[in-house]
Amino acid sequence: MYDYIIIGTGPSGGNIAHNLFKAGANILVLEAGKLMNKKTFPRTEADTSARLYWGGGIEFDTDAKMGFLRTRVVGGTSIVNQCLLDRFDDIAFNDWKAESGVNWFTNEQLAKHYDTVEHALALHTFTANEMNRNAQLFTQSCDKIGVKWGYLRKGQSDCAQERGNDCMACLGGCHRDSKQSSYAGYLRDDIAAGLNIQTETEVTQIVHNGNTVTLHALQQSKPVTFQAKNIVLAGGAFGTTKMLLQSGFKKQLPALGKNFSTHPQFMSFGLFNEEIHAYKGYFQTVASKDPNLRQKGYKLENVFAPPISAAMLFSRTGAYHQEIMRNYTRMTCIEVAVRDENAGEIKVDNKGKLTIDKPFTAQDRRRRDEGRELIANILTNEGAKKVYASPFSVGLHLMGGSVMGTDSAKSVVDPEFRVHGYKNMFVADSSIYPNAPGINPSLTIMALAQKLSDQLIGANHGI
Amino acid sequence: MASNYLSNSALKAINRIGDMMIPRNGEFPSFSEVGGIAYIDDLVSYAPPADIKDLNLLLTILAFMPNFVLRWLLNRMENSMESSGPLAPIFRMLDVGLRGLIFSCYYTEKIPASYTGKKPLDIIGFDLTRVED
Ligand SMILES: Cc1cc2nc3c(=O)[nH]c(=O)nc-3n(C[C@H](O)[C@H](O)[C@H](O)COP(=O)(O)OP(=O)(O)OC[C@H]3O[C@@H](n4cnc5c(N)ncnc54)[C@H](O)[C@@H]3O)c2cc1C
Repeated sequence: MYDYIIIGTGPSGGNIAHNLFKAGANILVLEAGKLMNKKTFPRTEADTSARLYWGGGIEFDTDAKMGFLRTRVVGGTSIVNQCLLDRFDDIAFNDWKAESGVNWFTNEQLAKHYDTVEHALALHTFTANEMNRNAQLFTQSCDKIGVKWGYLRKGQSDCAQERGNDCMACLGGCHRDSKQSSYAGYLRDDIAAGLNIQTETEVTQIVHNGNTVTLHALQQSKPVTFQAKNIVLAGGAFGTTKMLLQSGFKKQLPALGKNFSTHPQFMSFGLFNEEIHAYKGYFQTVASKDPNLRQKGYKLENVFAPPISAAMLFSRTGAYHQEIMRNYTRMTCIEVAVRDENAGEIKVDNKGKLTIDKPFTAQDRRRRDEGRELIANILTNEGAKKVYASPFSVGLHLMGGSVMGTDSAKSVVDPEFRVHGYKNMFVADSSIYPNAPGINPSLTIMALAQKLSDQLIGANHGI
Repeated sequence: MASNYLSNSALKAINRIGDMMIPRNGEFPSFSEVGGIAYIDDLVSYAPPADIKDLNLLLTILAFMPNFVLRWLLNRMENSMESSGPLAPIFRMLDVGLRGLIFSCYYTEKIPASYTGKKPLDIIGFDLTRVED
């Protein structure tokens, strides 16, 4: 019998497993995906989608208008993310407090947990000489039209830029262990030191028996069972919510599945006469940092897409498609990330399949359209001959579904990270986000995981 | 060309649709000329078995459609983001699913040695550098 079983190894599960392991707890970590490392991460874009992502690439909302990305591998979605790590501002925490009634959602209360996480990871804030041409044009144009921008902070140790490394490659897992995923940042050394982890093990059902919890899982398609005094659900917004839904917790927890948000992103490309090579060098170094846009509910990110993704985003086929792809190296790209309303719902159908309702509200649409218009203005000011706005939207920040709050009629997890009414079932991942912060979520996921770790270690729950 | 997951008719359908989406045009070779479909199992094998079954069925049906019907379908799919109605989500899913497969087998490093022309990734100028220690 384990003291703790931790399900999932993304920024949340990775942090908690690391802390409990270091504290000497009797733990088991379960992960649906495989254990990969810098030598075995896929080396092509197509293999990345197929091997790392849930659903073999992308999952859709029921209307098939929005695609969602999340991975299934040790390290979770932090294996493919850009690892841009930002603290929340007061706007985000005040909105969380108002929605959830949880009064410790403040920068002051979370400062020491942010500090601990930031201290554990290698962080780098970009500088002017690290911008590629895509970023240079973006910032010059922002300056011209009066949009404030700033350098991004990324979790990375040594990206070998001086030797010509292109960071876009780390969208398929960092082949240098530079990016501070929860694997490189926490689990790699713990696994080497004997952390008890079982991979390719997908938990399908949670049975609560009072003082213990039984987990039913499929391990490489074979049924297996585990028992623990406590469990920590860290499967992410979709994973955690799905486990609770298919285990029948919706009856006691009517809010289960609700309040899903995702910061939908819409990319626009600008075509130039000059060669840009936006995929070269550091992939993302700058973004809008404008209080005006923050207040309006969106931000602009200077990004790009590898060839297959770019081909998908442009949407068309035939000669039109070929004309665009011929100009791939002469494109720049900016996306608007919308701080969306939490109107989505995560459900499980009678075949056990996830279904996601994600209505795009009038406010979301307004924010998208304003952002797109501003992007067109920036791109034209950069000198773009033509602007292509992709019709697709992608959700990379999956949040909510098992939200935290004081009221069990409106939330799933209490302010001490316990599933309402279950003293030994904890959650501290992206599923507990009450609404969309409009800020990169990972650092705060880790800070919350750190707070839960301290709580568990402090309360000596079986350690 | 053979697959452990997709039937021969399904593979033929992919080549036919692929050539409609990416015909030979200037420097660009057609989809089927490149032959990236030879590695399709590397992609399909990771999909859930139920999805593979559905894909086989769908592609087998498409394989028997005449060209003009396929072209009509591709057109509906391409314009599906703007359309509404109960069938629109199905066309959108089809669009992303088929384009995903076809672009993945075209803009790829994995091309059979029998293809000796310029690779699509080289034509678009994509040359990613990985510094590995
Ligand atoms: C391309 C991309 C770029 C991004 N860039 C950034 C960025 O720069 N900054 C930022 O802050 N955020 C970024 N994000 C978002 C960020 O990565 C996620 O918000 C974050 O990883 C969520 O953490 P999590 O621990 O809640 O879940 P995840 O990281 O998704 O981890 C959940 C883990 O649980 C496992 N799991 C799920 N269900 C089960 C089950 N039933 N049994 C066993 N295991 C299970 C999954 O396989 C997975 O490994 C990005 C995301 C993407 C896709």
